[in-house]
Amino acid sequence: MITQFSMLASEIGPQQKFWFRHNASTFGDTIDPIYFYIFWVSAFFFVLLMALMVYFGIVYRRKPGVAPQPSASHNTFLELSWSVIPTILMAVMFYWGFKGYIGTRIAPADAETIYVTGQKWFWTLEYPGGVTTKDNERIADVDVPVFAVPTDRPVNFIMTSTDVIHSFYMPAFRTKRDVFPNRYTNLWVKALDQPTHRVVGDTTKGFTVEQIDEKNKGYFLFCAEYCGDQHSQMGGRIIVVDGPSYQNWIQKQSDTSNIDLVTLGKLLWSAKGCNACHSIDGNKNTGPTWKGIWGETHEFQDGSKIKVDLNYIRESILEPAAHVRTGFSNQMVSYAGRVNEREIRSIATFIMSLNDAHTAEAQAEAEAELAEQKALKEAPAAPGTPGTPGTPGTPADGATAPKQ
Amino acid sequence: MSAGHHDVSYLAPKETLFKTVWSWVYTIDHKKIGVMYLCAVLAMFFLGGVFALLLRMELWEPTKTTVEGVTGTFLPTVNTADGQQITVNNMYNRMFSLHGTIMVFLFIIPSIPAALGNIFLPIMLGAKDVAFPRLNLMSWYTYVFGGVFALYSLIAGGVETGWTFYTPYSTTTNWGNVTSMVLAAFILGFSSIFTGMNFIVTVHKLRVPGMGWFDMPLFVWAVYATAIIQVLATPVLGITLLMVVFERLFHIGIFDPALGGDPVLFQHFFWFYSHPAVYIMILPGFGIISEILAVHCRKRLFGYRAIAFSSIAIAAISFLVWGHHMFTSETAVANVVFSALTFLVAIPTAIKVFNWVATMYKSSISWTTPMLYAAAFLFCFTIGGLTGPPLATLATDIHLHDTYFVVAHFHYVMMGGTVLAFVGGLHHWWPKFTGRMYNENWARLGCILVFIGFNVTFFTQFFMGTLGMPRRYATYVDEFTTWHQVSTVGSWILGIGFLIHLMVFLQSLVAGRKAGANPWGGLTFEWEAASPPIEHNFSHEPVMTHGPYDYDTALPPHCDPKDFPLPDPALVRRVHGAH
Amino acid sequence: MSTVPAPTLDMDLPPHARHVPQAHWRNAKDEAEAAKLGMWLFLATEILLFSGFFCAYAVFRMMYPGNWHAASSYYLDWRIGFANTIVLLLSSFTVVLAIRGAQTNRNWMIVVNLAITNLCAIFFLVVKLGWEYWPKIQKGELPGANFDYGNAQGSHDHIFLSVYWISTATHGFHVLVGIFVITWAMIKAMNKHYGPKHYTSLENVGLYWHIVDVIWIFLFPLLYLV
Repeated sequence: MITQFSMLASEIGPQQKFWFRHNASTFGDTIDPIYFYIFWVSAFFFVLLMALMVYFGIVYRRKPGVAPQPSASHNTFLELSWSVIPTILMAVMFYWGFKGYIGTRIAPADAETIYVTGQKWFWTLEYPGGVTTKDNERIADVDVPVFAVPTDRPVNFIMTSTDVIHSFYMPAFRTKRDVFPNRYTNLWVKALDQPTHRVVGDTTKGFTVEQIDEKNKGYFLFCAEYCGDQHSQMGGRIIVVDGPSYQNWIQKQSDTSNIDLVTLGKLLWSAKGCNACHSIDGNKNTGPTWKGIWGETHEFQDGSKIKVDLNYIRESILEPAAHVRTGFSNQMVSYAGRVNEREIRSIATFIMSLNDAHTAEAQAEAEAELAEQKALKEAPAAPGTPGTPGTPGTPADGATAPKQ
Repeated sequence: MSAGHHDVSYLAPKETLFKTVWSWVYTIDHKKIGVMYLCAVLAMFFLGGVFALLLRMELWEPTKTTVEGVTGTFLPTVNTADGQQITVNNMYNRMFSLHGTIMVFLFIIPSIPAALGNIFLPIMLGAKDVAFPRLNLMSWYTYVFGGVFALYSLIAGGVETGWTFYTPYSTTTNWGNVTSMVLAAFILGFSSIFTGMNFIVTVHKLRVPGMGWFDMPLFVWAVYATAIIQVLATPVLGITLLMVVFERLFHIGIFDPALGGDPVLFQHFFWFYSHPAVYIMILPGFGIISEILAVHCRKRLFGYRAIAFSSIAIAAISFLVWGHHMFTSETAVANVVFSALTFLVAIPTAIKVFNWVATMYKSSISWTTPMLYAAAFLFCFTIGGLTGPPLATLATDIHLHDTYFVVAHFHYVMMGGTVLAFVGGLHHWWPKFTGRMYNENWARLGCILVFIGFNVTFFTQFFMGTLGMPRRYATYVDEFTTWHQVSTVGSWILGIGFLIHLMVFLQSLVAGRKAGANPWGGLTFEWEAASPPIEHNFSHEPVMTHGPYDYDTALPPHCDPKDFPLPDPALVRRVHGAH
Repeated sequence: MSTVPAPTLDMDLPPHARHVPQAHWRNAKDEAEAAKLGMWLFLATEILLFSGFFCAYAVFRMMYPGNWHAASSYYLDWRIGFANTIVLLLSSFTVVLAIRGAQTNRNWMIVVNLAITNLCAIFFLVVKLGWEYWPKIQKGELPGANFDYGNAQGSHDHIFLSVYWISTATHGFHVLVGIFVITWAMIKAMNKHYGPKHYTSLENVGLYWHIVDVIWIFLFPLLYLV
């Protein structure tokens, strides 16, 4: 009976339905049939009960002066069958669900480990070699990071949180696990062999991420455990890529030396989750906006006044509680060890570029720095080969490639 | 016990206004306490409903917006004392938290037991009052006290922790007045315990002589089962909330991971109460549906004992299933055990639904508003019940956990179950405790609108759930927009339906036709009393002459045999045997 | 209609002999039984209330077994706990004697035994506050974040102390409430309120006091000895 139902269900399951999400992982193949088994059992009983209710409601409506016919007020056979049959059907649900579930809990030995950190209100995924993503995409008015998952091997997410409980939820992968502070939980997935993107290019020319099917932009990552103000914006985009593309993608994320400081700063703004609290359009949020603050003198809760410069920004990133602007309460934790010096400088330069009076200055500084990086990089390589700098993740950013 | 002035309606005013007011605020009459509870819970239902409508409004648009420079938002700009601006997200978070907290702790838990139960449980047992009338009054004032705390939190900035107060979020957030709201829930717990203790003792000790356990109306059985849960589960919530308060005030670290505490322990404690609490909410609704079906179908309930026992079984098993709220956080072994136990609780519930539908067979159904509500209940509660298994099944719950599927499921159970039963019961007993009839056609219209609005609002949310829309989201990705807008339109229909009911009730109180003692032809003791009942309920202690549902053999009190003809005794003997 | 005999209102009789049940009761026996049933339900809620502490205790003991053991023997002196245990056991016994006094219609026996019970309760609280809480506050052996790590025996002493403080403080609060209700019963006894057929409220006070003792009987070994 189970196999019959699962066959019926698998015909319905994997297809994209307007009311059931397209499946992108191996779990869907086992879990969706269980859902549809329960669905059809439930639909049968619901229709049966409602049909009887409506039928009785019409046939036995009260007629003035007519006495109801007496009928038995219990019937052992009937009562036993409507106790036993649902029990059996539910035992099947339990057993099947239990088997499907156990399979989702034990990660295979060959799984690629990715460390996940949940923090109010963004996800950080640390790929092998400590690589984190710089790509982002605008979803629902927020720039969320883009994460890649390979098709050629399972991925094991080892997760923790720095503040409150979050929950790592990928609907298309049919999986979810709570993320706790002060402990690790894990979750693994194996993407179906249907890549959504490919990553082409090489280290010298740079890499480009291309969408394969124009209708499929990848899958959503959500936070499913309520965690405060921007809970609903604690998302991400999961793209599925094949094995070689996955390696390319990691390469692309690890090498930032060919991205100029302003562009890199903007990428980090969303990739490191700064955008959860700091706007760049002047809007006040959980933290102060970055727009136009460069060079201004700010007043702090301890009464001190400091001019916003590289040193101040560096301190704010590494020791957020050292100086807290008046009108704000500190919600930020230290980024020490999670950003390198060039990244700090890029954020500072980006902030500089957000002040109209300093935009040109910031651009110039960024270009000079990029040229320096390039010189450093090309020094050991064959001189004279004009290297084209790679295109950064989002062309919309309008990164100006410096010509020499 | 002397007759005379006690034989007047309990609603009758006293000589002076002051004495009338005093007769209410210092009453130990279970009916007056019940009516006061009823007014309070209806006010809270209104308040919680306003928050629900507001949060559905917020969800009309998918995009994120901060208050400054937004277009098309109806939310006001708010600045806190230290000049911090509140985002729309924060407003939304507070709205769903207040909606949840008010609806759960101030409305739905006391709704049926403390309001309708208080009025009718003693009368249905043929008693003059509950066992401890002064404790009953104290329960009411404890409720008021807790309500004051809750309203204070609301006015002083609200809370944005959700009604579940999950740690460490609830112990670390700076927003609002979490401490006072937690204390409110703690105090309201006492009120619930007092009511529960009172009802258990009343059922044990104040049944009319000759009334055995299986002669009790099923509403009494349901409220009795509820009371057991109230007494046994609420203290655990009390101590948990107290620890949260200590955590916030003294940082004791029990639930705080930063100090080596365990936030999952909080979830265990919380759900050890709050899962049984779900049955505190729904079991009395089952009782009301049993009463409505029997009276308005003029039929002995099919499988009386099965329904009675299943109430007790549900109460017992409800204590063993709390772990299914933690399928995404707990260890695999614990999850498997809790999944199995959760299915166990589904079976007695399924049996009840079958029994109710079977009761309609060969009956004489009068489609009054209460009966319409009973049918609406069967429709919605069956959906609510059947969407339980996908959440109890481990593999599928992992996908559906904390999504709109869960939101839809529990609204189908709590609103489609308890609230529809409550409003149905309110219409069913309205003539009895107010002494006036309501306008049947307008009430029917209200019922139909509530039914349609409810299903439009919440059925869409199942689809959002299977598509993966997480709950408690102030903003969402564009593809959910249509579903959310349909749901929001549904909430307006729902609101209009309830508004019509409010008008119908007000009209009835002002200009309603006087109700007879037994307008529906019920057989239980409350229909023997006058409408509205006298102060001590009965002028003479009622006598058990028939079972509560012997519609085939007994003529309802105060009724004309022409209106309520009995079937041929020979036929009755053939079906039921001689007894 | 009712089986209640016409009440005797002879003011010469002691109050217990004049007792008339409240209007909604069919007879005094039902009323007394209801009061006792209500009390038992209340005791059930008390046990469940404390079960929260016991669960927290068990969970953290499992999480930090070694630290737990070390903290228990370092911070708590079993002799103080033992003395308090003996005192509470004695007080439970005197409450039983007080009820016996009511059954045998010896009013002095009620008053004297309740007085001893109250003295025991006060002794318990004085020991608790003076020899346990006060030195602990001075030494910074406080729960959670207020803990002074100077003498820490392990990384999670503060959690042990949290469980210790909130469970003993909640228990201590119950002892305090006990003192009030025992005093209330004493005043009633002085007014000759209790008699062989009418001592339900005294019995309920006794039941309450027993549960306070029983909870301590569990708390003592868990916190001080194990």
